[in-house]
Amino acid sequence: MKQENKVGELVKNRYVIAGLKTEMALRTGGIAERQAREYLCNFEGEPELFVGLGDEYLQNRHKEYTHLSLDDCEYMWTGALFCQKLLSFEGFMLHASAVVYQGRAYLFSAPSGTGKSTHTSLWCKVFGEDSAYIINDDKPVIRLYGDEIRVCGTPWSGKTDQNRNISVPLQGICFLERSKENWIRPIDTKTAVFRILNQTIRPENGREMGSLLSVLDKLLPRISVFQMGCNISEDAVMTAFDAMSKQ
Amino acid sequence: MRIKENYMIRSVAGQNIVVPIGDAAIDFNAMISLNDTGTFLWNKMTEETTESALINSLLEEYDVSEAVAAADVSAFVNKLREAKLINE
Repeated sequence: MKQENKVGELVKNRYVIAGLKTEMALRTGGIAERQAREYLCNFEGEPELFVGLGDEYLQNRHKEYTHLSLDDCEYMWTGALFCQKLLSFEGFMLHASAVVYQGRAYLFSAPSGTGKSTHTSLWCKVFGEDSAYIINDDKPVIRLYGDEIRVCGTPWSGKTDQNRNISVPLQGICFLERSKENWIRPIDTKTAVFRILNQTIRPENGREMGSLLSVLDKLLPRISVFQMGCNISEDAVMTAFDAMSKQ
Repeated sequence: MRIKENYMIRSVAGQNIVVPIGDAAIDFNAMISLNDTGTFLWNKMTEETTESALINSLLEEYDVSEAVAAADVSAFVNKLREAKLINE
């Protein structure tokens, strides 16, 4: 019979996240541990990556960011650590809300508070909850799998806890801003690179930056990136879908 | 003069792009991509150099007049200077 951990006690578990064999040490009952449960997997062999913060590190972050609970800190910094390590595996996290429709993932990225989640939840309303769903509402992973580019759910999905442990081919990325009228246009490579850099964890050194840019080098020739001004309406959804669904 | 540490150029989807790394990223707002000449000059500027040395390098590498080379170098260096990428 498995012994129950006390709430707050550090527990090490094995997970598969974005296709990666991951070992994580998380505080039992915390947001991170609870949201990671869907990703539990007792894989064979050695982990490909390890996520653990260390008590001192966590306490220091908590002292620095007094408006965040210890729980929030663990959630945010385990996510950041996974994001950083992911760079070694041809993947990166984008601060975006990812909605799936007709088997393809559409990512809407913007600074917090702009309305990414509002927009993607409108997709679910317009296309129906049976047809469109959120794969990750805050930090989906984009990862190269050989020739394919896929979007993966992760435990780090922000406040609304919407995420699914699946991966779906990426259709397009769109940078949102608020606007009275709906408009959308493609953006060039250079602009796309900088927009993406602004909405992902900053690589800390040349090697990490090189890894990220190497992924973008493979991704950008194949995936359309857009900029969109939108309001809250069905027309906003159709404007985005019509432009982004074209191959 | 030379280019500050923590800036690199990388080819991404056919474009040579200047990206900041580490602390340099915090204030960096310019979106700079370089054409072939720009990339050539950038690579020369990763070491201590002068405008006249750059002009000479350009003249060795490309079939252009001295006037054109001088103008190109001046424009390029000013662009980098404006983006605060140079240590004088």
